[in-house]
Amino acid sequence: MNHTTQEIGGLGSFALARAIRAGDCSACEVLEASMARIERTDGAVNAFTGKSYPRARQEAAAVDALRARGEALPPLAGVPYAVKNLFDIAGEVTLAGSKINRSHAPAAQDAFLVGRMQAAGAVLLGGLNMDEYAYGFTTENTHYGATHNPHDLTRVAGGSSGGSGAAVAAGQVGITLGSDTNGSIRVPASLCGVWGLKPTFGRLSRRGSYPFVHSIDHLGPLADSVDSLALVYDALQSPDPLDPGCHASSVQPVGDPAQGVKGLRIGVLGGYFYDNASAPARAAVTAAANALGASDMVEWPDAALGRAAAFIISAAEGGSLHLDDLRTRADDFEPLSVDRFIAGALTPAHWVLRAQRFRRVYRDRVNALFQHWDVLLAPATPVAAPEIGAEWIDINGTAHPSRPSMGLLTQPVSFAGCPVVAAPLWPPGTAGLPIGVQLIAAPWREDLALRAAHVLQGAGVAHLKPVAL
Amino acid sequence: MNEMHILAYVKASAVAQGLALDEARAQRVASHLARTAHLAQLLEGFPLSVEAEPAELYQPLAFATTRSKVGAP
Repeated sequence: MNHTTQEIGGLGSFALARAIRAGDCSACEVLEASMARIERTDGAVNAFTGKSYPRARQEAAAVDALRARGEALPPLAGVPYAVKNLFDIAGEVTLAGSKINRSHAPAAQDAFLVGRMQAAGAVLLGGLNMDEYAYGFTTENTHYGATHNPHDLTRVAGGSSGGSGAAVAAGQVGITLGSDTNGSIRVPASLCGVWGLKPTFGRLSRRGSYPFVHSIDHLGPLADSVDSLALVYDALQSPDPLDPGCHASSVQPVGDPAQGVKGLRIGVLGGYFYDNASAPARAAVTAAANALGASDMVEWPDAALGRAAAFIISAAEGGSLHLDDLRTRADDFEPLSVDRFIAGALTPAHWVLRAQRFRRVYRDRVNALFQHWDVLLAPATPVAAPEIGAEWIDINGTAHPSRPSMGLLTQPVSFAGCPVVAAPLWPPGTAGLPIGVQLIAAPWREDLALRAAHVLQGAGVAHLKPVAL
Repeated sequence: MNEMHILAYVKASAVAQGLALDEARAQRVASHLARTAHLAQLLEGFPLSVEAEPAELYQPLAFATTRSKVGAP
């Protein structure tokens, strides 16, 4: 073995996969380095709510045993990862960020995507913090404590997959899984400065994950490089007839995303996406556009209405899902979201049905846009990470409620089901904090968003930054 | 709906749903529902034809004797 523990800690997850494959280090050595990093930093970050070290040791040992027998290693062999705590982990209680779920029985088996990661040889280190039942954008979780942004511990990590963003930013693991209904992968990716992929709605199976909004829930990866993001995404793909929300009938591998963007029609979203972005968020998009050779401004159809409809459906489905507990034990819910859940449960049916009918028309309008464009750019969040506890954010002189407004720019896109890569940029005017840029493609064209992401990475425009922890 | 109407709606519909809300909680819930009402009002202004059906997840299972897979993209 050629790498020291310190050297292993400095390698990204893609390089680790290569190093393990080449026999430069063992999966057990990589695991020890990752566990040491978690133990050293998580007291400050609070990304993990549960650690599955015994399982991780078994999985790493299995990889090393495969190598010792001279057998071929799967694509993520020995690479550490962790999952938002709404994914089922066999033998563990699926918390979904709640106190209420603590009394549930442990999961009988892994979530479908955790099974895919295991089949790909990845090593699971534990469950990650989140907003309760995924209803939030800040991971200020009263039951388990707030997750702190590794780039500034006084600030939020974003949410609802806040632990998933923070764990990658803190270098604890290079790969995490999260969920995204209205922005819950892209917002923490943006605020923590990591790569995130929200795939096409219906691409990846959600079986074995705790739901928030059946109509809009997506699952996907966050990672420390585009190469890892693509590698994990391909490993996660598989049709699943047992998930009624999984519409993929075949695997469409991205393979190598390093194909450039020559010939792609790339535009910049204006209107709603410009108006609801602060100056640094606009600067981040400009930097990405310059690197991609994009200059044309494009109008996304009915963005404000798409956001409105997503908001209404989320509130109503989320409230309905938890109505029994809201009736009997409302005080056990997250204080920051329980009143929103109750309001959601009281949403008039007409509002919900109208939002669902609008969604079909909206889908067609958004799809028509992609007759003319391949990739569209927009900020992932209006601003950089707010301070923990902030009630308001300022967007161009107007005060917006902090917690619901972090999804202003992500909701219209996920409501149409489009795949999005969130790329980590570092614009001026944020005191060194990141803001993500959404690389948006037509449904089922994750490959195009990943190709654009790879160009930004290669140009040095989008990347992770080390943290002082 | 104005604020008074929304608060009255919250109290009445909470009873119908079996939710016990004290006055302070009812007020907070009403403020959240007011935000949703504003967004619903935006959607009311969008013309929808009667042919615009809801986007939903339901899909019937393939009939047992058919060989082709139905409905998948």
